[in-house]
Amino acid sequence: MRLLTHNMLSSNIKGVTNGFPLRIEVEKMVEKEVELNMDFLKNMFAKVEWRALVEASRSMGYSELPDEADSSMLDSDEFLRKFHHALLELHLEEGALVCPETGRKFPVNKGIPNMLLHEDEV
Amino acid sequence: MYFKGAGGANTKRHLWGWALPSSTSTGFIASKSGALICCRGRLSSTVFTSIRTSGSGIRCRRRLRMSINAAATESLQRGIAEFYDKSSGVWEDIWGDHMHHGFYEPESDASLSDHRAAQIRMIEESLRFASLSDDSLKKPKSIVDVGCGIGGSSRYLARKYGANCQGITLSPVQAQRARELATVQGLADKVSFQVADALNQPFPDGQFDLVWSMESGEHMPDKTKFVNELARVAAPGGTIIIVTWCHRDLSPSEESLRPEEKALLNKICNAYYLPAWCSTADYVKLLQSLSLEDIKAADWSQYVAPFWPAVIKSALTWKGITSLLRSGWKTIRGAFAMPLMIKGYKKGLIKFAIITCRKPA
Repeated sequence: MRLLTHNMLSSNIKGVTNGFPLRIEVEKMVEKEVELNMDFLKNMFAKVEWRALVEASRSMGYSELPDEADSSMLDSDEFLRKFHHALLELHLEEGALVCPETGRKFPVNKGIPNMLLHEDEV
Repeated sequence: MYFKGAGGANTKRHLWGWALPSSTSTGFIASKSGALICCRGRLSSTVFTSIRTSGSGIRCRRRLRMSINAAATESLQRGIAEFYDKSSGVWEDIWGDHMHHGFYEPESDASLSDHRAAQIRMIEESLRFASLSDDSLKKPKSIVDVGCGIGGSSRYLARKYGANCQGITLSPVQAQRARELATVQGLADKVSFQVADALNQPFPDGQFDLVWSMESGEHMPDKTKFVNELARVAAPGGTIIIVTWCHRDLSPSEESLRPEEKALLNKICNAYYLPAWCSTADYVKLLQSLSLEDIKAADWSQYVAPFWPAVIKSALTWKGITSLLRSGWKTIRGAFAMPLMIKGYKKGLIKFAIITCRKPA
């Protein structure tokens, strides 16, 4: 699971008012090299919740992202590379995504999060 | 799907995996009969005893909201997941990575060699129908593929628009396979897949410029909730595209389909884990009720009719038969249901519909 995906997932358990962002529990992570695509990155920047991405990347062991960012920083190659790396190259293979309100864990196996709710959570 | 749920007494027994409907014309349950047979008694009777029926003379909205409990829903989800876990490989082997109908010239004699182009044409025609733009400023940047199968649409759309695409499916096997294919095709940066429920999408509101549901609506037991979720996750100004099987629109004097029509749909439902049918008009009403704009709908039955005979032909090849035999009872039962689909189309009972709209900006 890439952090771009994590940035779009939230806990929708019944009664939860703010299920975003999910906390990350890492059991196994890998880094996968991905070709940098500037247009894609710029489009995604507009949609990304920055603080959530920073926190998520730190939980994956990457602390290079600045605490805050604005679109003018996309002109910097260095920033782009770091953004690209955090967003697309850090992969959670095994672990869990944790609901910030209930603590319920959504398992991640072989890189695929399972977000199905149980009977009592719907 | 019209069972009267009251323990074992009113529930007819099953014959060769097809549940025979009781005589009542109302009430909906998730199709459990297939799971009953194949689970060999693992299922308890509580599923049936806890199902409530709706009375006759029900209005459109209540008809769309199934009175089934959470246990039945979870069971339906498992049935769907298992069905696709087992049959996905066979399908992919013969038909490739798109698990939807092809779009053909009406009355044409389609063969296996045409199918991939036809499946791609189905995607393109759907985008065109929804007036989706290729323009670099207006094209979708963020897409959700609801009921993504092994990710055929996700990969196609991500590649076409250079967009990010999230796919959701109930089947862990499909999600893994989808991911593998994305990696192999160099799209792992743009598409990713989650095991999730379309009725409870794990996304915050307003995420996606394009909400894509290609032949997954049939599996949703609660059409109201399904459409609500599609609308919820659509971004302001975003487009929703639903391509799905429906039954014919009811005439103003009709409360429901005729008994023989329901019986035919019942058989098909059991084989494919389809819990409920509604009409194209029902979808349009739902979208209207959510104040979505620019709602368009069309009957594309004539463009997909050549598909099923082509599927049957492929199933009857040596490769088809051996693959089916290897893949287990549920897949085989799905194969047996194919002539029923053809019958349904020919009778004008089953429609292949496209419904699109836009969320207000």
